[in-house]
Amino acid sequence: MSENMLNVENLVIHYETDEEVVEAVNNISFRLKKGEVLGLVGETGAGKTTTALGIMGLLPPKVGHVIQGKIELDGENLFDKSEREMRNIRGKKISMIFQDPMTALNPVKTVGEQIAEVVLLHSRCSKVEALKRAQDMLAMVGIVPERYKDYPHQFSGGMKQRIVIAIALACEPELLIADEPTTALDVTIQAQILDMMRSLQKKQGTSMILITHDLGVVAEMCDHCAVMYAGELVEYGTVEEIFDNPKHPYTKALYQSIPSLDKDVDRLHVVPGMVTDPSNLPEYCSFADRCEAKCDLCEKADPKMIRLNEEHCVKCLQYTKEWEGKINE
Amino acid sequence: MLKYIVKRILYLIPILFGVSIIIFGLKTFTPGDPARQILGNSASEAQVQEKREELGLNDPVPVQYFNYVKGIVTEGDFGVSYRTGKPVLEEIAPRLLTSAKITLGAVLIGAVIGVLLGIISALKKYTWVDSGVLVISMFFQSVPEFVVALVLIMIFAVNLHILPANGIESWTGYIMPMLCIGLSSVASYTRITRSSMLEVLGEDYIRTARAKGQSEKNITYHHALRNAMIPVAQSVGTSLGNTIGGGMVLETVFGVPGVGKYIVDSIAQRNYPSVLGGALIIAIVLTLINLLVDVSFVLIDPRLKTTIISGGKTKKKKMKKINAAA
Repeated sequence: MSENMLNVENLVIHYETDEEVVEAVNNISFRLKKGEVLGLVGETGAGKTTTALGIMGLLPPKVGHVIQGKIELDGENLFDKSEREMRNIRGKKISMIFQDPMTALNPVKTVGEQIAEVVLLHSRCSKVEALKRAQDMLAMVGIVPERYKDYPHQFSGGMKQRIVIAIALACEPELLIADEPTTALDVTIQAQILDMMRSLQKKQGTSMILITHDLGVVAEMCDHCAVMYAGELVEYGTVEEIFDNPKHPYTKALYQSIPSLDKDVDRLHVVPGMVTDPSNLPEYCSFADRCEAKCDLCEKADPKMIRLNEEHCVKCLQYTKEWEGKINE
Repeated sequence: MLKYIVKRILYLIPILFGVSIIIFGLKTFTPGDPARQILGNSASEAQVQEKREELGLNDPVPVQYFNYVKGIVTEGDFGVSYRTGKPVLEEIAPRLLTSAKITLGAVLIGAVIGVLLGIISALKKYTWVDSGVLVISMFFQSVPEFVVALVLIMIFAVNLHILPANGIESWTGYIMPMLCIGLSSVASYTRITRSSMLEVLGEDYIRTARAKGQSEKNITYHHALRNAMIPVAQSVGTSLGNTIGGGMVLETVFGVPGVGKYIVDSIAQRNYPSVLGGALIIAIVLTLINLLVDVSFVLIDPRLKTTIISGGKTKKKKMKKINAAA
């Protein structure tokens, strides 16, 4: 038993098709302690979901490849596991909540069956006991247990997401990956779902990775925050550090693009340019083309992750000695 | 649910009216005298006239039609065959049964083989297995049924002597017609199953099932298959109907006394009561089969239950509410 629930080291994931190779995740490393919540932030296409699928071992077959790195769950490397062992881990030790609750449930099975399925797979119990557990789970996520006989189409979007959460938590996983759990829901329901997830996470002591592009959600829910850009981790630290003292130009730009109640502005700040094409990444810093603080150095070298203090790392040349030399020149 | 079934059965009334009026019109406006047809050229004009009176052919057309419909509604009398003098219903019933047996067998063969091949090619997509399945099923679809029939007769009746070439004296007589119709429909089931299976396997809920730790085998059979079967079941429904009344060519090749051949023969003989009765009875059977198929969908897809029970009215009611609120 190690103190880290999850340890991702130098993970590289490519999507390979006949036409091109998409470098979806580039050399990312992070750790997650037991009971902690890590927020994974970044814009669409930054590789957040790919990282999650990599941890689950659910990358699309034939196309998605782990090129290098390791993922350790509780000290055991997941890439050494057989498919059968991975099946025992999925749903039992690691669970995942998907983005769109509307399509995440099988329309021809009752919700009770769908929750009971995961219970039956991972614990030795009878069908009746599994259904009982399913009803308990429904009650836990705030749905009348008697509705276990209903089909997904008889529930609203928010309730479907509650059911998806019930499935994910039914076997009391040690690690929960929530991939934009509230993106498809309207704002009032979002708060309810997040509140519920947080209280359940506290209650079960689950470690959690929360994937989102909503910085407000991160501030509310997370202990640590990792900012991803073009498949790389560009900044990592405690939520306090990242929010009070953002270092990477991309993180700063993200904050500036949040509307503020205090300041009266006509236009929000926009990060100029398009997301870097992950099938054609530059040799140098992948954010350089959109960066407001860049200099010649940025187009020559790809920066390494720099540890600023105990709680804060950033991947930017601004915080290196070379930069200081350049400025002093 | 009951309300829905009753409603669907009531739909039969306009359908049957339409069918009967069209065929009655055909009977009335086609040249040639059925009475002369029955009695032959040697009969005298007086005899023919007497026969016309007996058959009610001298009444005005609306009266003839009214009497015909009255006969069906009050006594279940679909008229009497000109050729044999027997009630049409009595003549058609055993033939319909024969056609129904062959159809059921054929659809079963076609659907079972087609669905299995479809699943295989979906799971092995873009491999040589997939292409092989496609080629074989396309082959049976492109070759006309009667050619397949003749080849089957050559092999099983002429050379191997294990199946009768003609007639349905014993159950072995059913095998070749069933096989023949069944094989020709394999391709369409294969393709429907393959594409709907591929679509379903890409759905989010399949990923959810994988995330639960479910095995690929269980995902295919417990999660994907039932969802993928919805379009297949729809296609089974249509082909049941088409095959019952449309098996004329094969019924001729295999010498099977089926309902398709009966009606075509009756048309050639200007045996109008048989044509009319046959068409009406087939219309009734088809409507009932379609109803049965639609109701059985509920067993596959629970989402339909809500629409069927409410008879699709929920939307209208909701719209009304919205309009009222506005």
